[in-house]
Amino acid sequence: MIALTATVALGGRPVLHDIAFTAQPGQLVALCGPNGAGKSTLLRALAGLLPGLPGRDPRQVAYLPQGARCAWGLTVAEVAALGRLPHGDAAAAPIARALTLCGLDSLRNARVDRISGGQARRAMLARILATEAPTLLLDEPTADLDPAAAHAIMALLRRLAQAGATVIVVLHALDLARDYADRMVVLQDGRIIADAAPADALPAAARAFGLPVGLDTQPRLLPPAAA
Amino acid sequence: MIGRLLAALLFCHGAQAAGVVSLNLCTDQYLVQLAPEQVAALSPLARDPSLSVVAAEAARLPWVRADAEAVLKLAPDWVLAADWGAQTTLQALERRGVRVVRSALPEDFPAIRVETLRLARLLGVEARGVALLAQMDATLAQVVPGPALAATVLEPRGYTAGAGSLADSVLRAAGLRNAGMGRRQDLETLLAHPPALLVMTDAPAYPSLATDFLRHPALARLPTRHLPPASLVCGGPWSADAVRALAP
Amino acid sequence: MIRGLAALVLGLTALGLLLGAAGFGLPQSEILWQLRLPRTVLAGLVGAGLGLSGAVLQGGLRNRLADPGLLGIGGGAALGAVVAFYWGLSARFAPALPLGGLAGAGLACAALFALAGRAPSAPSLILAGVALSALASALLALALALAPNPFALAEITFWLMGGLQDRSLDHLALAAPPILLGLILLLRLGPGLDALALGEDVAQSLGRPVGRTLLWAAIGSALAVGAGTAVAGSIGFVGLVVPHLLRPQLGERPAGLLPAAALAGAALLLGADLLARAAPLLLPLSQEPPLGVLTALLGAPFLVRIARQVAP
Repeated sequence: MIALTATVALGGRPVLHDIAFTAQPGQLVALCGPNGAGKSTLLRALAGLLPGLPGRDPRQVAYLPQGARCAWGLTVAEVAALGRLPHGDAAAAPIARALTLCGLDSLRNARVDRISGGQARRAMLARILATEAPTLLLDEPTADLDPAAAHAIMALLRRLAQAGATVIVVLHALDLARDYADRMVVLQDGRIIADAAPADALPAAARAFGLPVGLDTQPRLLPPAAA
Repeated sequence: MIGRLLAALLFCHGAQAAGVVSLNLCTDQYLVQLAPEQVAALSPLARDPSLSVVAAEAARLPWVRADAEAVLKLAPDWVLAADWGAQTTLQALERRGVRVVRSALPEDFPAIRVETLRLARLLGVEARGVALLAQMDATLAQVVPGPALAATVLEPRGYTAGAGSLADSVLRAAGLRNAGMGRRQDLETLLAHPPALLVMTDAPAYPSLATDFLRHPALARLPTRHLPPASLVCGGPWSADAVRALAP
Repeated sequence: MIRGLAALVLGLTALGLLLGAAGFGLPQSEILWQLRLPRTVLAGLVGAGLGLSGAVLQGGLRNRLADPGLLGIGGGAALGAVVAFYWGLSARFAPALPLGGLAGAGLACAALFALAGRAPSAPSLILAGVALSALASALLALALALAPNPFALAEITFWLMGGLQDRSLDHLALAAPPILLGLILLLRLGPGLDALALGEDVAQSLGRPVGRTLLWAAIGSALAVGAGTAVAGSIGFVGLVVPHLLRPQLGERPAGLLPAAALAGAALLLGADLLARAAPLLLPLSQEPPLGVLTALLGAPFLVRIARQVAP
């Protein structure tokens, strides 16, 4: 379980107002909302990265920021091994499990700057899985990916949640949130305006985005690529 | 207002007592030894005991930088300087009508005799010059000729005294053979082929890498004779003291 | 690889004891212990400090052009050492010399991080480094010109170009403890540098906040580079070149480079110093070429190559 009660101002500008947020193990929570709503700030606050808020035990909470890039040409296995830094070990088993979960066994020794964007994103995901933290925080893990790659990542996160992890994902794509999340939290102007099952929260999300209400709110069958 | 200020400045110009200004460390020492009462000002280096044999006397005398304006303000009868260094300042003084006497700084004892007498006559103290030279010759005459040992005068940064230098003249006057001959000597070669005698001047007060070289612990075991730091800087009647310090 | 580098360092150290102005071979004990030993060990230590500090700075700043010399840390160290030396502080209290180097290098590090910001991009960092280097050499020249010693200015080449000729056991005793301490501090930074590979947020979420890593990198570099520069002058490019030579063999992970960078830096400077000693024996030269000139001859083409790779 992870919980946060906070009001956050960055550079004198209020970003989050009176947020009270809790997530339970086994849940995949999607944080949705338009640009500037405070999603990433909420995720960073949950990760304990904001000054003034309590920090987190890095073994308990793993965080994947938006558009994370590697400054060096590390191999896929080396990136995954970074997830062991909080434990101060380089235990082989969790790293191998994370690589297998992310479908990266054949790319272990490939350099992350020489593989496709989707593969590199999966390497970053393998890094937070290798920590084996009970809580996973991911900021737009599917941005810029083709639909098949995006569905593959969401399906993996869902499996992790079903296995007992607390997974909180910032998502721009409302259809992915609708298809995979157990719960959808909609933010607007730094406030939580809806917090419910995706089908119930979608109208509020659509309004926040300025989209016409009446979007197809029925869950779809998962595409075969993600199964 | 400005006119009055200018007038005030001009007045304090002309009001000074006249005398001789020396702008070079070596001519400073001649001037102080020959005619201290005629000193209008010396170079600032003259008061430095690591460079000047007359530092104690010079400390009580006025000093001036080699700057035409500063010298003109003293209105000296004439200016004593070397024939190198500060030449633009000297030319500026000459253009303003100041008499400048240049000294070709002597590096051996015959030249020291000539220069001492010339400067003594210019200063009108010929007897004093003759007395200084007599004292110098008496000191030199005490040297007993022995075997011409090989000696290296080690200077900062590992340079050695070259042929025709003051240190070379002092070595020969002391009955030694100059083994360095102007080569730059690194410590390793020096230790591998040590001279019979190593001559070094005591390091001056200022630290420098060049003089740090002379304090290297590896040199401690070589037979060494130390001279006061000012003794080999300028050639003059006082150079006989360095000869006496080195003679066997 | 590490074992090979260690063997290379040992071999070059042995050569360093065998080669000198007096010729090749085992010299008399005074030459061996008082001249060749301090010189050789200092070359190894100073080189190790420069190489390791280069690898740590490149990792910490996530910039392939980072180098203690290019970034002005060497210049700051030389300035601090010059002030301590020519103003007579080190004559009264010998450890003032390495302490001056440490203070100068530490100030340069602090100014660098302040100028370049906390997430330094390549151009802003290099510009800040160029500005710092220029300021440090200007202040160095000023300090030498105003020093009480009228001959101090003539020694600017040593401080800008470096050299190890005729260093003594005293120099070794002054410089070795801070350099060794700096090496130990820098070698412990591996995990923090690795964590920074994915950015500052990730580093913090992994329990390795960037501020702490950079602070220790600055302290370690100040110790390793500052004390080395205080006795050997500023020697450039070793820290730049070493990580680049190692990455093709060892991979790009910053922590994986650290021990090898210390050894390779030592080997590089030992080799350059041997070259400097051999030059007057092989060529009609009256003196040794300055050590920093040799490393610059080696490093400048390297910098051009890296700059062309980095350029968009």
